[in-house]
Amino acid sequence: MVRNPFIIIALLFLTSLICLTGESEPLPKPSQWIPQDAILTFELSNPQALFDVILGAKVEKAITSVPEFQALTNENGFKEFLGVVHYLETALATDWKAAVKSLLGEGAVFSVLPEDQLVFTADSTNPDLLTQLHDILFGFAKNDAEQHGDSDRVKLKEYNGVTGYSFGNDEVHCIIGNRFVLSNKSNILKRIIDNRTNVEYESLSNLNHYKNAQMDIDPEAALTAFLRMDILNQVSGINNALTRNLNPMAALLAAGITDSLSASNWLLAELCIDEENLLLSTEIDGKLDMSGPMAFIGTNDRVGAALPMIEVPNQIASFSFFRDLYKFYSAKDDLFPERTSGLIFFENMMGIFFTGRDLTEEVWKEIKPEIRFVAAEQKFDSSTGIPAVQLPSFAVVFKLFHPETFGIVAEEAWQKAIGLINFTRGQNALPGLLIDRPVYKDVKMTLTYFPSVGEEDKSKQDIRFNFRPTLARVKDNLILSSTDQLAEDIIDSVLLEEKNPPEKISNVHSLVQLDVDRLASILESNRETIVRNDMVEKGKTKEQAEAEQVMLTRIMQYFNQVSLQVGAQDDTPQAELKLSLNLPAAE
Amino acid sequence: MKFSRRQFLHTSAICSFGSLAPSFLQKTAFTAASKKVKTDRVLVVLQLSGGNDGLNTIVPYADDEYGRNRSTLRLQAPEVHKIDSYCGFHYEMKAMWEQFQDGHVSVIQSVGYPKSNRDHAGALRDWYTAYPHDENCETGWLGRSIEYANQVDHTDLPGVLVGNISMPLALNAERTIVPSIRRLDQMQFQQEPLSADIHKTDNALLDFVNQQTSIALEKSRKLTNITKDIHSSVEYPPFQLAKTLRTAAQLIRADIGVCIIYTALGGDGFGGFDNHASQRDNHAALLRQLSESVSAFINDLKHDRLLDRVLLTTVSEFGRTLKENGRRGTGHGAAAPMLAAGAQLKPGLIGQCPSLTDLDDGALKHQIDFRNVFAALLDQWLCIDSKEILGVSFDPIPLFQS
Amino acid sequence: MKNQNAAFDPQWAWESYVPSDERPWTLKWVGHLYRRAAFGASWEQLRQAMEEGPARTVERLLNPSGNTDEFETSFDEYESAAANSDSTEGLRAWWLRRMIQTPDPLKEKMTLFWHNHFAIDCGKVKSGVLALQRLRLNREDALGNYAHLLQAIVHHPTTFLALNAEKNRKVLPNDNFAKKVLENYCLGPDMVSEQDIHETARAFTGWFLIRNECRFLDREHDHTNKRILGEEGDFDSQDVINIILRRPDAAQFIVRKLYRFFISEVEEPAHSFLEPLVRLFTADFNIKKVITVILKSNLFFSETAYRKRVKSPIEYALEIVRGFEANVSTTHLGNDLKALGQDLFHPPTVKGWLGGRHWINSAALIGRCNLAHALISNSAPYEKQLAFDTVFEKYKCKSDEESCQFILNLFLQDDLDETVRKQLYRSTADKKPSSWLQRFTIDVLTCPEFQIG
Repeated sequence: MVRNPFIIIALLFLTSLICLTGESEPLPKPSQWIPQDAILTFELSNPQALFDVILGAKVEKAITSVPEFQALTNENGFKEFLGVVHYLETALATDWKAAVKSLLGEGAVFSVLPEDQLVFTADSTNPDLLTQLHDILFGFAKNDAEQHGDSDRVKLKEYNGVTGYSFGNDEVHCIIGNRFVLSNKSNILKRIIDNRTNVEYESLSNLNHYKNAQMDIDPEAALTAFLRMDILNQVSGINNALTRNLNPMAALLAAGITDSLSASNWLLAELCIDEENLLLSTEIDGKLDMSGPMAFIGTNDRVGAALPMIEVPNQIASFSFFRDLYKFYSAKDDLFPERTSGLIFFENMMGIFFTGRDLTEEVWKEIKPEIRFVAAEQKFDSSTGIPAVQLPSFAVVFKLFHPETFGIVAEEAWQKAIGLINFTRGQNALPGLLIDRPVYKDVKMTLTYFPSVGEEDKSKQDIRFNFRPTLARVKDNLILSSTDQLAEDIIDSVLLEEKNPPEKISNVHSLVQLDVDRLASILESNRETIVRNDMVEKGKTKEQAEAEQVMLTRIMQYFNQVSLQVGAQDDTPQAELKLSLNLPAAE
Repeated sequence: MKFSRRQFLHTSAICSFGSLAPSFLQKTAFTAASKKVKTDRVLVVLQLSGGNDGLNTIVPYADDEYGRNRSTLRLQAPEVHKIDSYCGFHYEMKAMWEQFQDGHVSVIQSVGYPKSNRDHAGALRDWYTAYPHDENCETGWLGRSIEYANQVDHTDLPGVLVGNISMPLALNAERTIVPSIRRLDQMQFQQEPLSADIHKTDNALLDFVNQQTSIALEKSRKLTNITKDIHSSVEYPPFQLAKTLRTAAQLIRADIGVCIIYTALGGDGFGGFDNHASQRDNHAALLRQLSESVSAFINDLKHDRLLDRVLLTTVSEFGRTLKENGRRGTGHGAAAPMLAAGAQLKPGLIGQCPSLTDLDDGALKHQIDFRNVFAALLDQWLCIDSKEILGVSFDPIPLFQS
Repeated sequence: MKNQNAAFDPQWAWESYVPSDERPWTLKWVGHLYRRAAFGASWEQLRQAMEEGPARTVERLLNPSGNTDEFETSFDEYESAAANSDSTEGLRAWWLRRMIQTPDPLKEKMTLFWHNHFAIDCGKVKSGVLALQRLRLNREDALGNYAHLLQAIVHHPTTFLALNAEKNRKVLPNDNFAKKVLENYCLGPDMVSEQDIHETARAFTGWFLIRNECRFLDREHDHTNKRILGEEGDFDSQDVINIILRRPDAAQFIVRKLYRFFISEVEEPAHSFLEPLVRLFTADFNIKKVITVILKSNLFFSETAYRKRVKSPIEYALEIVRGFEANVSTTHLGNDLKALGQDLFHPPTVKGWLGGRHWINSAALIGRCNLAHALISNSAPYEKQLAFDTVFEKYKCKSDEESCQFILNLFLQDDLDETVRKQLYRSTADKKPSSWLQRFTIDVLTCPEFQIG
């Protein structure tokens, strides 16, 4: 079969040569080389999955169709860059995408170590390509250095059987087998070279935390990030940030995540990607202590179950939480010990609205832990008026333990609040709200609104015309909405739920969903306001601010939805972020 | 040779532009130029924002009227750190009570003023200006004191606001810029300016700025040295107020000439002490922060033998009504105790306990006018002529050991 | 008392400066002019002024060429949008932005002058819309007619609100209001008798503020005879202002303040010295005419005026920003300027910012230097705002030496003591090359010579 025995001899000879240099065996995993004090490590473990998307036709279309990108291609710097790429493509007889795929084809790792030390490794499927490319670049660098009369800058040096290179002050690298290793500190590179076959080496892969984190990795994950919380928690600034007294809202939303983080040794994030979705999931090893002040996110030491989110037309965002307000407020001395003006004012007002009822025992205790929020885009009508600044409408939906009795209490409180707002506005010579009681699908609502009689310019109305505060109750659902339109949409949605009771999502205490395209449209209709704000807030020129705004909307167009789910599995917090993409169809 | 007033002002380095000097300051410059302000002494004024309930701070636990009027807020004898058989500190104020036992905390009873304002804005304005019921007064009593110190002594930086509230009217001065800081590094150069060896130029204004630059450099460096030295052995509790007082202690330790420090507990706006509803727990939390933070501050200064130089006093726009309301809170009242801390105080209770039967529309009547307290602070502590600051002469209360 | 002005003949002092061999037109005077009549200048402006000479440059500042309307209209719109609030923070940000970008800086500088002269704390007004109205009154007549401006300001709702005079009832004339208006806006302190004050208060009776609008209720006006500053009759509030304007003291008061604003805050000029300006102003209260004389005068371009003012925080910060031809976040800048003692719309008292040496104490000085540091080093909250390198590229500084010289020319017109210069270079000699130009610039901007102007 073999036509020329010499070839066999030559091959054998070559193989033995490689054996002699000791690099014939497949290299150990890159994590075997990364020092274990690496604080943050990104691993490209499944390169193919990532390349399929980001080097795919759709993403290319998405990038190249952006006018800013087209403008960039006309710039000289970019043209020069393309020239270099083209030169390399010709010299290496490949195209840049194939080259990238091959150079990173076996995976890549990037680590951040203490004191600004960095390491990067890339495993190539084609070691020849790697060395060829390196030789060319080395030649470039040398020429360039000589032209600038600085030929000492680019150098190479043998170290422990490996050639180390440097193109400049802050960079050293080498190639071992099919692996390219780069660092900004030579001692790191030396450490790696010295220990390249040492299995006992204190490497990341020998770290127990790392091993534990690796156990549940999804094989589909294209990219993972491993963060050593045990090191970070010793940094006083970070530790302070995690244990700092939060304000009540932050404490309610954070739901023990900060506590768990400061009790964690590691955090692992995984990214799965395809052309439709981008899925980021995170887990940590810190346990959630449900026996203490954190009891409010669950029942009987277990994380509660949130209801599915409410859906309404023109929805921008929807949230569903499991938060036991009664337990939360009972633990306030632990959760938010500072007694700020805002909190005391809030309690004073709640005391008035709820006729002296105890806020914790008689108000929060009446509210079930399943709480939902919705925000939706508002449609304005030029006949009734369009506000100069258009805000989304938003609403909260509580569930009551005793709807028949507490529902009335809540409605009375609402009307008192409206009365107080009117009274205070009157004191400041500002127009007040009119109160109406319309009925929608047999549900009687308390609707209040600012009459627009006498308003001269209906195309640029005051910001207050964004609000038509409305209260409504459907069975045990208490709806507080910023507009009657949204209240009605929620009533529709809740009535449907009455027919088909939704199933709760177990082990999940927070659900968030953003509809990016509609969010973009809100930004678009408030463009002028945002641009002006950027001018004085960030010191931008009008043109800069407008360009950024356009860019942002354009980027947002590539996303359909962003959703986040936070909960716990066996007492360990978990979070999942999903971005559904809206890439243009490739030609 | 006789100077006219105008001429006098022109010879003074400070009033280089006499005709715009406000009349009250011209008077000040005239009458007080010989007096010496005590710049090695520090007055720390701690505002309890929102109107502190004096009756649940220094609690008349043995008074039946107290018990009768406060069905839920009432503290029983075991819940009180007793001063005597009639009254004692709130149960969360153990630390301050201990300092009281050591003579480092004193209580000035029933402080207020005639026809006192019952709304926050009005009462605050009255306390800030120390000109009650004069809504046209635009400067604060401490702002005027700062300006007085500047006039007499060329003191560069007599007053500072520390903490995260906005500049209160109390510190407003016609001309002196009073700094407001949250962190010490706001009073340190990020990059030191060139320290020009002070050589006289032919421009007096340039000489002045040169001189100020070297003063500022010196102060900035003093602060830098203080902050480097973080060995402080005294633990502060983890409250915002404690952090603020710790910063104040560092300012004092750095010895950069600050003699008036203002700070607050309970924040801006209506204030954390404005407990109209669910008072019991919220008030207790605040008193604990107050007591433990102030106590740590005292210990810190004592540790560095600085307490002799420092006097801390609380102020609050009003006390609260004797009777609690339907929301288990209290309404806006009138007289309340002021708490003072330092090493040279007359120990114990100063003044009479308030009467719980002789009320003014539900609130306690004052027995000491706050301006008599201010007079003691100004005349006897800072050695600032209180008549210049308060407009008329008020007799200082006996606040200090003779 | 020594009065340097005595050395000058008033006639010579107010005559137009014509460059000569003894008193040449140098960069020093260009910088001086732009500091006083504007908020500093870019290098291009300095260079142009060098070429054109004093007469044409002052003329350009008084009557800016080109289309300023477009700029004014768009900024009027920004301000209106920002006024829709109880607080004046938005207005403050936009006004600062306007000062930075305006093609007519003298107008904004004079607006600031009147804003300070007719000082009120807008915290008491609680309406951005009213605060903006007042700002616009000041701006419209910044270089216009003082008599008109005074009438408009005194009768504006903000004045009544801020001076606690919302109801001027016949039985309760507001003496405090009258005193503050007479002493702070019209004539200066100690110029009127108690009787003048009380009778003026009576003349103002009938003015009521109803829903933030001034209404004159005739039934509440005291129609009996009043005797004010020597004149007698049934005067109303407008009559009072007209009586005041007939007094030479009124013109003298303003001219004196203008002297302090444009010439020197170091010394007090004699009556007779200001006489020519007072006469000019009394004729028709044309503000621009007086300022034209001041800015063109021999006195303005003399050592009596040069570096005889402490820069206000606004002047200090804006000269840096304008020098670098940059835009920065004026929301944050407004806050920082507040900490340095100059919070637009909120002067400490109705006397305004007294300024001068009072701008400086060690904390304020540290604050100023740290602000300069934050702007130049692009640190919080001014990240990525002032592009430090672009001016060196734009004006083709080829070497580090040229860049240093450029900074010295731009900000100090190279006028500094040799010992300071040596120190400047020495202090940067041992620094790392990457940021030393930045350090050098900060050293220049924090040296005492840059604090005054």
